[in-house]
Amino acid sequence: MAMRRATGAMIRACAASSSSSAGYFARHFHASSGDTKKIVGVFYKANEYASKNPNFLGCVENALGIRDWLESQGHQYIVTDDKEGPDCELEKHIPDLHVLISTPFHPAYVTAERIKKAKNLQLLLTAGIGSDHIDLQAAAAAGLTVAEVTGSNVVSVAEDELMRILILMRNFVPGYNQVVNGEWNVAGIAYRAYDLEGKTIGTVGAGRIGKLLLQRLKPFGCNLLYHDRLQMEPGLEKEIGAKYVENLNEMLPKCDVVVVNTPLTEKTRGMFNKELIGKMKKGVLIVNNARGAIMERQAVVEAVESGHIGGYSGDVWDPQPAPKDHPWRYMPNQAMTPHISGTTIDAQLRYAAGTKDMLERYFKGEDFPAQNYIVKDGELAPQYR
Amino acid sequence: MAMLRATRAAIKACASSSSSGYFARHFHASSGDTKKIVGVFYKANEYASKNPNFLGCVENALGIRDWLESQGHEYIVTDDKEGPNCELEKHIPDLDVLISTPFHPAYVTAERIKKAKNLKLLLTAGIGSDHIDLHAAAAAGLTVAEVTGSNVVSVAEDEFMRILILVRNFVPGYNQAINGEWNVAGICYRAYDLEGKTIGTVGGGRIGKLLLQRLKPFGCNLLYHDRLQMEPEIEKEIGAKYVENLNEMLPKCDVIVVNTPLTEKTRGIFNKEMIEKMKRGVLIVNNARATIMERQAVVEATESGHIGGYSGDVWDPQPASKDHPWRYMPNHAMTPHISGTTMDAQLRYAAGTKDMLERYFKGEDFPAQNYIVKNGEIAPQYM
Repeated sequence: MAMRRATGAMIRACAASSSSSAGYFARHFHASSGDTKKIVGVFYKANEYASKNPNFLGCVENALGIRDWLESQGHQYIVTDDKEGPDCELEKHIPDLHVLISTPFHPAYVTAERIKKAKNLQLLLTAGIGSDHIDLQAAAAAGLTVAEVTGSNVVSVAEDELMRILILMRNFVPGYNQVVNGEWNVAGIAYRAYDLEGKTIGTVGAGRIGKLLLQRLKPFGCNLLYHDRLQMEPGLEKEIGAKYVENLNEMLPKCDVVVVNTPLTEKTRGMFNKELIGKMKKGVLIVNNARGAIMERQAVVEAVESGHIGGYSGDVWDPQPAPKDHPWRYMPNQAMTPHISGTTIDAQLRYAAGTKDMLERYFKGEDFPAQNYIVKDGELAPQYR
Repeated sequence: MAMLRATRAAIKACASSSSSGYFARHFHASSGDTKKIVGVFYKANEYASKNPNFLGCVENALGIRDWLESQGHEYIVTDDKEGPNCELEKHIPDLDVLISTPFHPAYVTAERIKKAKNLKLLLTAGIGSDHIDLHAAAAAGLTVAEVTGSNVVSVAEDEFMRILILVRNFVPGYNQAINGEWNVAGICYRAYDLEGKTIGTVGGGRIGKLLLQRLKPFGCNLLYHDRLQMEPEIEKEIGAKYVENLNEMLPKCDVIVVNTPLTEKTRGIFNKEMIEKMKRGVLIVNNARATIMERQAVVEATESGHIGGYSGDVWDPQPASKDHPWRYMPNHAMTPHISGTTMDAQLRYAAGTKDMLERYFKGEDFPAQNYIVKNGEIAPQYM
């Protein structure tokens, strides 16, 4: 251990002299063999929970499980949860880091300003899926590569969405609250509790997660609708058993439940405003594990208060961490949680492995799996344009 | 209305002269007989008027009051069912039919059966008739029937929801959100995907099968234990493996779902010894009946961590007392008894109850699968 650290220090000393801090060469993507890199990871802190599970890789303390692997190759690996404000730990490392790893559960907001300051930055990796915490246009203009571990937690999120659909439809939360408060009032729950069977569910977005959700809904006997930029192939659509609705305004009024399954992009930011929510059925149930900012925050609050939204459940907020006074915590008929759906222990194992794989390829000068790229050679992936 | 009441009073006066012995238990209503029907349901108070389909409460009385009274029958509905001075007790001596639901069950003991000289028919608006002393009912020549199938989908969906709630550790997340907190690690250190886990259902009857069907796309290892093995084609289509020996199945399961009725054989089977056969950290879902578990054994096992999470909507007794320990044990996701009384389920079991009353008045048989006690015999799943 001590020997590795000494070697690391020596290599870093050499590397510092060749870290041309501005212009084309600093952004040159492929690491030359022998180059050591400064890699910074921003994750959530686990404190006393870090040692409760050896597979708990996604926290600061366990650092994706790649510390030894990185340091044995001579790279520098800094891991922190301190990401906000001009004096935070992350800000100190911005000027000379090569690679920044972040996760949606505790996202490092990589603004155009930070990108400008980050003279050595070449690669932004998302350990998980969803890279909207990065100013993608600025990243593309600066010649950076942005990639995520596509597919790593799609099953996780789809399962979680189905759980929330049931929680809202069957009115679980008031029942739980009665129990812990010493109460018993079946009618106070049952008067607005329904079976999922026979209801109309619409997913806004039918990419990987949307499709997995629809597949899991199939045995429940619902009327399944989906809206997306693209229609599925007929064979797949038939097997999944969902109907394509090209016009979102046509789909929304039909749905008892609406599930949000799009990325956060310039097109989708704030799309569910008062007007669009108004197009949904009165009493609609909404599940959003996609991104908080796809909804207009106050429009959601007002709609649940009026009862136009009958129930809202999701694990995404804007910003994250959500402040103590975020109104979604206190609005009626909600089933919110912090951002957890994509960071189950099972998902962490997958996105840690996928991140390690991409780092390995980066060190060797190899391409990533094609579907992982969000920004490459100045271009944004199609779903973000 | 006044005329109907006068007629009813006259008929009751005639009927009371033959109120004990064989003739009182004679099942088929003679044409022209009016009956005294008592329904025990939960009260809805301010919720009764919030939804026109809210049939299952006292106030809306299964939606059959006008139908019954227009035929001259007497229909008394109450939620007051406990103790010697309750409303139900007053009507025991002369009622002909008693309707009850598992969500607010009228406990029909041998003692009450003895007192109920006119009683012929016990109907469960829902499924599960363990609130009745079935042996005493059989010995007294009563018929017991339930609306088989009326809320099997409801309960299966609800079990599914609870499996996910426990596996994905939803409740601590919700509690953080409403308490102004944000600590992702404090939830996800014990949050998992359902995919790839082993789920075992104890009982592969109607509800058990519907649950297994809904689990199919999740990529789990599905096991089931039951008195009977499914037919091979059904087993193959459902994708679950039969384990004949329960002791063999329990240690393999990450999640166990209870799907048996409460009978003499199943009462208290999940005691400390049986729970210990399960994996450490096992998650248990029980929407069946509470006394299938040994109450204190569950409390101790969740406190020790041997049970990693427990979720269900059934308690012993119901309503559950304010100090029932399952309300306060760690890692639970309990609710009152609601899974089988969604609005959709109420519509079905109200319709099924009405159908059986109609057949009863006409002297016709019920659908065969509805009988729990008939001609002195108890249905096989309860023996």
